[in-house]
Amino acid sequence: MSAALIGGLGMAALLVMLLMRVPVAFSMFIVGFCGIAALNGVNSAVSLLASESFTLGSSAELVVVPLFILMGNVATATGMSRRLYDAAYAMVGSVRGGLASATIIGCGGFAALSGSSVASALTIGKVSLGEMKRFKYDDRLSTGVVAAGGTLGILIPPSTGFVIYAILTQQSIGRLFLAGILPGLLLLLMFIGMITFLCWRNPKLGPAGDKLSWAQKTVALRGALPIVGIIFVTIGGIYGGIFSPVEAAAVGAGLVILMGVWFKTLSLMQLWLAVKDSIITTATVMLILISAHMINPFLALSNIPQTIGAFMGGLEIPAIAVLGLILLTYLILGCFLEGFAMLVLTMPIFFPVIVNLGFDPIWFGVLVVLTLEMGLISPPVGLNVFIVKSVARDVPLNKIFAGVFPFWGVMLFSLAILVAFPQIALFLPNSMFD
Amino acid sequence: MLKHLTKLADRLISLSALLGSVALIVEVVIILADVIGRAFDAPLVGAQDISQMSMLILVFGAMAICDKTGGHIAVDVFEAAFPHWLNHSIDVFSALIGAVIFALIAYAIYESSKISQMLHLATNIIYLPKVYFQWIVTGFALMTAFAMLMRGISLAIIGKEVEEEAGI
Repeated sequence: MSAALIGGLGMAALLVMLLMRVPVAFSMFIVGFCGIAALNGVNSAVSLLASESFTLGSSAELVVVPLFILMGNVATATGMSRRLYDAAYAMVGSVRGGLASATIIGCGGFAALSGSSVASALTIGKVSLGEMKRFKYDDRLSTGVVAAGGTLGILIPPSTGFVIYAILTQQSIGRLFLAGILPGLLLLLMFIGMITFLCWRNPKLGPAGDKLSWAQKTVALRGALPIVGIIFVTIGGIYGGIFSPVEAAAVGAGLVILMGVWFKTLSLMQLWLAVKDSIITTATVMLILISAHMINPFLALSNIPQTIGAFMGGLEIPAIAVLGLILLTYLILGCFLEGFAMLVLTMPIFFPVIVNLGFDPIWFGVLVVLTLEMGLISPPVGLNVFIVKSVARDVPLNKIFAGVFPFWGVMLFSLAILVAFPQIALFLPNSMFD
Repeated sequence: MLKHLTKLADRLISLSALLGSVALIVEVVIILADVIGRAFDAPLVGAQDISQMSMLILVFGAMAICDKTGGHIAVDVFEAAFPHWLNHSIDVFSALIGAVIFALIAYAIYESSKISQMLHLATNIIYLPKVYFQWIVTGFALMTAFAMLMRGISLAIIGKEVEEEAGI
């Protein structure tokens, strides 16, 4: 049996297992291990498994993952994220659609504390959905805003999506974090623009909230100062050359714990639950990574990436059209696959093509992460939509998807802008790293 | 018998989750100590070695509880369309295949530990012997395999997981 045939059979088996609901990590692991055993022998597969498990499990770069997750979890447990939302509400809550805009700003702020979109949607959703209901916001707008705003978590640094992309493609985490800032802010502003437009067209969607006095505004803004300080120290520390990303994550996690203890907002039980949740999420990510490192050599041995690369390179279409095809593939896959798994599965195939076509890998990372975000709110498996549904149980799923739709359009538009103007993503990393 | 074995598996899961959690706290403390020490020209020697080895304990210590709490990502688009027997069979298959995977990881790392022991392989800065950590990972992987096997058997025999008694 030829290597290509074994590769094809492996991919077919992987697809069947994925569609049959076998966990993504298990499916990739089995196909990778059996494929390498078939092509190179069982001893080769066992040796690779031993080295990859130990090396990845003790990777210095990946230490950043549990630390940033812990930072976000503790920030949620101590109510820091709620105070961020309160501050955003104090600034813009009294205008029409202002609560929805405050939710988006709150999501953006929380995104700078946590690298997870799901955590952003869940945390801000818990805080904001009740408030928006109280002010008679339309369910479509309120749930759509939380689901879409949550996606900012993966674009605004620190982002676990960028960390995984960096590990898979050997790119600089710092450059990727920097590259995500301006696109993240652009998306945030465009979301607010869409809210303003929707509420201007139909004022019943988002009536104005209570007008706060200056004293109340000052109290709300002062409450957010510690969190803003932590964000400044951690993210600023990385770019100021004071910390490595791992150190910044540890400093951030340490600071939120210390503040929680100092202000008596963090009990031992809350800390234990936050830590437990962090290690569970880390284990999920790490097993997928180990499995990806089993399947990638199998793909390489069976020449599948080279074949697809040659096919795409041989197409009589411009390089930008190939990029468009790849992004379209991500958009379609995003409707069915979990974003992180999709990244791990496809990067070995598409990344060499992108590099061969001469595209900037940092810019491509931002485009890919943005399409992953779109997958988070795309039917039928938009994870953020289900997270919002778990908080707003009385709102039908189709109503949430309807509410998300305008924001999905905004993301598609911003993707087009980023493709047309790579400088938006590359300006900060190029000016600060060169 | 099954109930006793499941109870044992649950206790082992709790223990490994506790060790994984302690490893995460150790990571935070060690890196913080290093950063603060560096500000005073006294960095913690070997901080990176310790944080990397803690990461191993964290990752593999958390694998069992990750499975127990349904932490593994699956594509469940067609779940509602599948008949009950098929969904049930997939659950049993997934648990058992998971047990095989972790048994394989345990075997592979144990085999690799023999080489580490023979060559006295150690970490780069403070020379922590790698073999001890490979044995720890082997233990965690075996325990995860055992817990998944018990879950698979429970699902296959009684149609659901045995009720846990220890709070995890």
